[in-house]
Amino acid sequence: MKTLSLTWKKRKIPSYLTENVSEDLIVLENLVKIYDTGLIKVLGLKKINLTIKRGEFVAIMGKSGSGKSTLMNILGCLDRPTLGHYYLDGIDTASMNPNELSEIRNFKIGFVFQSFNLISRTSALKNVELPMTYAKKGKKERRERAMELLKRVGLESRADHMPNELSGGQRQRVAIARALANEPPLILADEPTGNLDTAASEEIMQLFSDLHKEGATVVVVTHEENIAAFTDRIVRFQDGVIISDTYRKKEDGERSLQTAQTEQLAEELWAARPDGLREGEAARPDGLREGKAARPDDLREREAAKTDHMGMPAGIAGTDDLREQGRDSRPGKEDPHVV
Amino acid sequence: MLFENMAMAFSAIRANKMRSFLTMLGIIIGIGSVISIVSIGDTMRSLFSDLYKNVGITQAYISIGYWVDDVRQSDYFTLDELERVKEIFGDDITYIDSSAATSAEAIYKRTTVNFDYTGVDYNYIDVQPVDIVYGRYLNEGDILGRRKNVVMDVDSAQMLFGEENAVGKTFRTTIYGDTDTYTVVGVYKEEMNAFQALMMGGGAKDRGSAFIPYTILTWPNDYFYYLRLYASEDIDFSQFMTKLTAYVAKSKGRDPADFRTVTAMDEMTQVDSMMGGLSAAVGGIAAISLLVGGIGIMNIMLVSVTERTREIGIRKSLGAKTRDIMIQFLTESAILSACGGIIGILIGVGLVSLGGMALGVGAVVKPGVIIMAVSFSALVGIFFGIYPASKAAKADPIDALRYE
Repeated sequence: MKTLSLTWKKRKIPSYLTENVSEDLIVLENLVKIYDTGLIKVLGLKKINLTIKRGEFVAIMGKSGSGKSTLMNILGCLDRPTLGHYYLDGIDTASMNPNELSEIRNFKIGFVFQSFNLISRTSALKNVELPMTYAKKGKKERRERAMELLKRVGLESRADHMPNELSGGQRQRVAIARALANEPPLILADEPTGNLDTAASEEIMQLFSDLHKEGATVVVVTHEENIAAFTDRIVRFQDGVIISDTYRKKEDGERSLQTAQTEQLAEELWAARPDGLREGEAARPDGLREGKAARPDDLREREAAKTDHMGMPAGIAGTDDLREQGRDSRPGKEDPHVV
Repeated sequence: MLFENMAMAFSAIRANKMRSFLTMLGIIIGIGSVISIVSIGDTMRSLFSDLYKNVGITQAYISIGYWVDDVRQSDYFTLDELERVKEIFGDDITYIDSSAATSAEAIYKRTTVNFDYTGVDYNYIDVQPVDIVYGRYLNEGDILGRRKNVVMDVDSAQMLFGEENAVGKTFRTTIYGDTDTYTVVGVYKEEMNAFQALMMGGGAKDRGSAFIPYTILTWPNDYFYYLRLYASEDIDFSQFMTKLTAYVAKSKGRDPADFRTVTAMDEMTQVDSMMGGLSAAVGGIAAISLLVGGIGIMNIMLVSVTERTREIGIRKSLGAKTRDIMIQFLTESAILSACGGIIGILIGVGLVSLGGMALGVGAVVKPGVIIMAVSFSALVGIFFGIYPASKAAKADPIDALRYE
């Protein structure tokens, strides 16, 4: 993995921000996130390895507390991993200071949030202009680009409307236009349809699909299967680990192999983890320890699952509930959301 | 970017109109009172300076010092000495007399009016111009001949004779115990504003005033205590005074330090510095209210930062750096404060102008004071905005985004 040396100059935009460096847009290497609550240390993410290539359309799924929000924060450069590396477009974000992370967010990431997060009392146009303002782009350029983007999401007639004058679906489309402002290589959406009705949700997901077809890399964090069904790849989280990683359009066999390889690597790295972590682990509450205890069994079962035709290690969770979820998420001819 | 920040700041200020106004109120009152006090001070100074200009900035008195114990007859001045001084200093002295004045009752038929008589030379009109509305001013013949002629002002003529044109009228008065008949040869008018009238004692309308030949007032012994003179405005005044004192001292066989000089310029400088000091002191006290206003701004900015935590989170997630957020909130507090400052200036200037109009004097509002007030209020805004702005800038984006 190439790590760029950073020379920091005021007001000059470093080239790594504007140039596309790596084909692997997101590379997570042994990513660990520990939350230190003072009393106990909680493992949010347990040594995650994940690669997302440029142009992929990925859903990250999991229940509340599964670690998907933690991952979302790290992917969005809002948070830094405790251990391991996160390379975004070849840039090692672990070594960056908050202002450098701001620049990364500005140039490399377009956020779409569940609660839209438009700036109130600020017109749709101004909202879309905002990332370009922080990128120090000229007034005219900002205006033209923002208008173009609003047109792209079908809201050019609402450019002067304030967020409170727009419907939920319209607000989210403004937010998407805003996310696209600086042409970031990564669109990161956190439960983008969580506050929308079915029709609007469909609209927004269709928009993401279109963006993906135009070449954008879109990562959607969601807990809704029908939303995830729009994507090409589903990464499932539980208790801070990836429990499955499936491609919808690729051959299932090929995927399983890759998953297994990743997980084998993960297991090796887990065994070689620093002592500090092992201690932290010991201090974990029972729930987490159970999760850990279940781990070897999981893997054993996963080995067995390699031959499973289901395309995902169905037995790993050991619960009918999860098995059910897994089945639902599988792409199938009967799935109404297949694009 | 600066423009963007200002637009954002104005929109935030507009969003909470009442709150913004109440926050500004501290600054408005502070700046308003500083401006009024400093302007009142400046107006007073300019009035005094006008007053001295009216009296004559080069006016000077010289006399034997009150601290001298062994005052002799020769320490007094005589008309001959006065003439000699006039000859020696020539054009350097534009006017000189014995600085004599007295008060007496003037009687015309059954009317009695208390009169203040000022003894002057015939060319006093050159240094203290007045409008002669009827008749003429005193002439050289009146002075040399000690003629009992007077020039009185219109109001006095009205009081004593019941008409303004009193030229040729006579009245009786007693000067230094010598009762005689005096003739009005001229009537003058002097324009004074309310303040000048007050300071010149012309405010009391029940007394008459008139010019009489100063030679009458030196009578009968022809010795007098003061020399009053006006120096030419083209010469170095302090150097002239040194020369004059030296000459007078030498002619009387004394040390120059034994003579006391009082000049309009010295007095003016003294009064001016006193007024300046006073208005600075009171203005300083008023400036404390600006501090209170600044704390009000800090308080409301802290509230605003807390309220807008989520907005800060959004901005940061979109790529705003610490500095961007800092500048945004600093701009807001500076604009809030500067707006208060501008309103305060309008109110202060308005009050001073109204007061000036009411008193019939021109209010003096120096542009420097306004510039200082605006920049000071903006500085107050920036200073008291630093803490809230840095609090906003340091917010963690995740926590800020999660803030409800």
